[in-house]
Amino acid sequence: MLDGFEILTTSGIVLWRRHYTPISSNLIDSLVRDVFIEEKQKPGGGENGAPSYKKDRYTLRWTSAKDVGLVFVAVYQSLLHLSWIESLLTAVKGLFTKAYGQELKTPHTLKVNTAQWDPTFDALVNRLDTGSTRRQSDTIDSEGPTELTPPSSSAGDDADEPPPVPAPLFRKPAIPTKRDDVVGDSTSTDATPIPTPDTSRPATPGHAASHLLTAKGGPGKASRRSRKAQTFNASAPVSSGDESSAGRNLKGGAKTAAKGKRRWDVDGMAIEGDDDGVLDYSASATPGPENAERELDVADVNTSQMGSRTGKGQFVLKDLDDEVDAILASSSKPQQQSNATDDSTGSGLLASASSRLTSLFRNVVGGKTLTKADLQLPLQQMQTHLLSKNVAPEAATRLCQAVETDLLDQKTANYTSIESTIRDSMTKALTRMLTPTSSLDLLREVTSVTSGQGALARPYVISIVGVNGVGKSTNLSKIAFFLLQNHFRVLVVAGDTFRSGAVEQLRVHVRNLSALSQREGVGKVELFEKGYGKDAATVARDAVAFATNKGTQAPGGSGQMLYDVVLIDTAGRRHNDSRLMSSLTKFGQLANPDKVFMVGEALVGTDSVAQARNFAKEFVDTKGKLRNNGVGMDGFIISKCDTVGDMVGTLVSMVHATGIPVVFLGVGQHYGDLRGLNVGWAVDKLMK
Amino acid sequence: MTRLEDWLTWTLSPSISAILVTLIFSLTLPILIHTYLYKRAVAKELPTFLLLGPSGAGKTSLLTLLSNGTPSPTHTSQAPQTATCQLPSTTHSSEDKYRSENDTSSRTQPSIHLLDTPGHGKLRHHAIASLTSPTALKGLLFVVDSAVLSSAAGLTETAEYLYDVLLLLQKRHTQGKTSKGPLAIPVLLVANKQDVFTSLPAGLVKSKLEEELGKVRQTRSKGLLDSGIGMDDDGEADEESNWLGEYGAKGFKFAQMREYGVDVEVVGMSTSAEGEDEGRVHECWSWIGANV
Repeated sequence: MLDGFEILTTSGIVLWRRHYTPISSNLIDSLVRDVFIEEKQKPGGGENGAPSYKKDRYTLRWTSAKDVGLVFVAVYQSLLHLSWIESLLTAVKGLFTKAYGQELKTPHTLKVNTAQWDPTFDALVNRLDTGSTRRQSDTIDSEGPTELTPPSSSAGDDADEPPPVPAPLFRKPAIPTKRDDVVGDSTSTDATPIPTPDTSRPATPGHAASHLLTAKGGPGKASRRSRKAQTFNASAPVSSGDESSAGRNLKGGAKTAAKGKRRWDVDGMAIEGDDDGVLDYSASATPGPENAERELDVADVNTSQMGSRTGKGQFVLKDLDDEVDAILASSSKPQQQSNATDDSTGSGLLASASSRLTSLFRNVVGGKTLTKADLQLPLQQMQTHLLSKNVAPEAATRLCQAVETDLLDQKTANYTSIESTIRDSMTKALTRMLTPTSSLDLLREVTSVTSGQGALARPYVISIVGVNGVGKSTNLSKIAFFLLQNHFRVLVVAGDTFRSGAVEQLRVHVRNLSALSQREGVGKVELFEKGYGKDAATVARDAVAFATNKGTQAPGGSGQMLYDVVLIDTAGRRHNDSRLMSSLTKFGQLANPDKVFMVGEALVGTDSVAQARNFAKEFVDTKGKLRNNGVGMDGFIISKCDTVGDMVGTLVSMVHATGIPVVFLGVGQHYGDLRGLNVGWAVDKLMK
Repeated sequence: MTRLEDWLTWTLSPSISAILVTLIFSLTLPILIHTYLYKRAVAKELPTFLLLGPSGAGKTSLLTLLSNGTPSPTHTSQAPQTATCQLPSTTHSSEDKYRSENDTSSRTQPSIHLLDTPGHGKLRHHAIASLTSPTALKGLLFVVDSAVLSSAAGLTETAEYLYDVLLLLQKRHTQGKTSKGPLAIPVLLVANKQDVFTSLPAGLVKSKLEEELGKVRQTRSKGLLDSGIGMDDDGEADEESNWLGEYGAKGFKFAQMREYGVDVEVVGMSTSAEGEDEGRVHECWSWIGANV
């Protein structure tokens, strides 16, 4: 059942809440943070327009009313599948906006008096909640597809739903356990209604359940008992005097006679004899007179419920029914309405000319309410502009859609044209996308890790990954130079054991850097290499152990860290080569770096999205969870920015693909050509 | 036609009635114009106080507490929110500085605007924009979560945001165009969530933040250059202008900010505690009142 429902404003104040069980406020906080602010989830219809978000065994479905700035959130357990939630959300949105919309539109309102809302909400839930997740047979056909959830990790659980309300349509209370299995299966894959044998009573019990939904044998997901139930049902249409039942009895007999010969079915699961099931003929399957009675009972109960309300309750519900029906009907037919409005343009030369003039006038003066048609052409131009700046088409589409949802049905300000309104909105969207949640201060982090108390002090490990030829070794030496200038001791690890000349290249860099640092008297840099052909992961692990120097080999100060920072270079690899990419996982687990930076060059085009995604998903820890809060890597270094001029769209593509922020920009081929990202500068270049 | 000529002749004639009409007309017309213009004039802007701080500190909760008297449950903010409220009757505003205690004349408490901004990293531009835009900003309430400050990560995040805000205020002061300089904006550091068991007391919050700010300004000065280094031509490369507080001083103290007109005070309070005394909201109110 529903665990809780909250109505909150976009500024975070909870206007109304109803908790059926205690819910921590952390759930909705993380929903707001992950979905609305950081946009980690793809926005989109989801099932019937109410997208869902899962955290901690709870599922949250929400809808938002942009004009009054409200968000409606429904919370329930992930194990359940409540299909009436979308209609509840739509109805609540419509009714609440109607009731309190005016109050909320006045500025500076922090609170609305929601005393009348409680009974309305209760009535709404009673009306829309169908009592259980099981459906009556007549509603199965119309809502069949929405009833089924994709196989989630909780499928295969027998206790999926609460046992169904003992509606009389479910017969055979004698075998309740099997009923549950059958019921439970309907939420896993491929449920099909088995044709009801409408003739005489079937030979074996268990046929009575045949008109209910049962699952086909899904591979491995259905449990043993349910598969057993299936085999019974599958043999349903056989007429009496069948061999299967005889065979079954035989098998059962054979089993008890011999020492428990194990029988196996096609899926490789052991079949256990269920003698109870075979022998129990107690309940009948035919729709006898008593069943008709029970159906009448059901109908009776319903009508009496509709009629027997107290005075105030009745009044509320009657109104509610009409309003709710109207809201639900209107929400389910948005497309026809939008299609209908396109035909209202005038015809004739004069009419079109005058309409064009007035629209031009309105465009200049402002105060125009923006419709989809208005936004279409300017957004198209904006998308072309972004594409010309080397932004991947996927990212450009997403940004344009965000701007469209933001601006739809808004009024333009005075004396601003549509184009400038779109530019403003796009600048805001780009700024929001490129601004990191927390900016990286590398020096701070290195200092805090290396100066941990005594035994906790350890070197800071940074590793660089990327495809071939993007500038990993060059940027790694730039970072080494930066750290050296700040008096750290750096160990450069030649983790590229594949490419010819990779170790020599790093040796030259280290020689230059140590000459530079000796001249200025800062820091110390050395190279750790194990030649060619070795496994990069073991080289990295050995290097970290060497830098930590925990062993007792050093005669004097054993346990003293030899180096503050360990920089690990890796071999370049194509992101679509799965063998090479999978070796990265092992590398990540053995080396256990504090920071993983991926280098992408600014010259790359649409490939950047695929590169970023493939690299990010390789970095999982031993439990299978992506490191760094589920994103995989810690930052992007965009190299060769001096060669592209204004077309820095790769920044946007890579951030869009993964949500990982850009931390450094490489702007040249000397040691000092490393910059941090200034979001204003980047957005400026993109919008120029 | 003749009527018009007669009427014109009358107005220019030296009769008593004509002179009287002219006199009345010339005296009342400016008054009417004046009342018309001043009715349409923009209402006087209320003094605004900005609420900012890292995410989860309790800014929206504090906003509801100050405006409604009781805190409402809140979640992470996505958008800024303004509220208008009046100082409670027990608070003295700066206008009452020289009033005697026994003064019984009725006076209305001034109203203020409170502007609450989101604290999430991606939405801090709202707060920064409000700081730099020319509104009647009278003070800043920087809300911190005292319990989170005992962990290193929370302390760093809070200190970095506070550093950005204080540096912005300092630059605003030093780079003002006129010799008079913009009005100084005092800062109240609200150490919220004092009711939590692991929270640090207000004095400790102050010293920890000062220490952390010293470290942050050290690393920021040595950090990488920004990619937008060529953008502003105000001499951003000047190291001294990017150094918070006293240039070259060993550690950072809030007293160093006084030179730039930024007075920092620390107050400990809790939005969810019961009772006036435990919540200590009145300290907030008295600071607001003193700076209205």
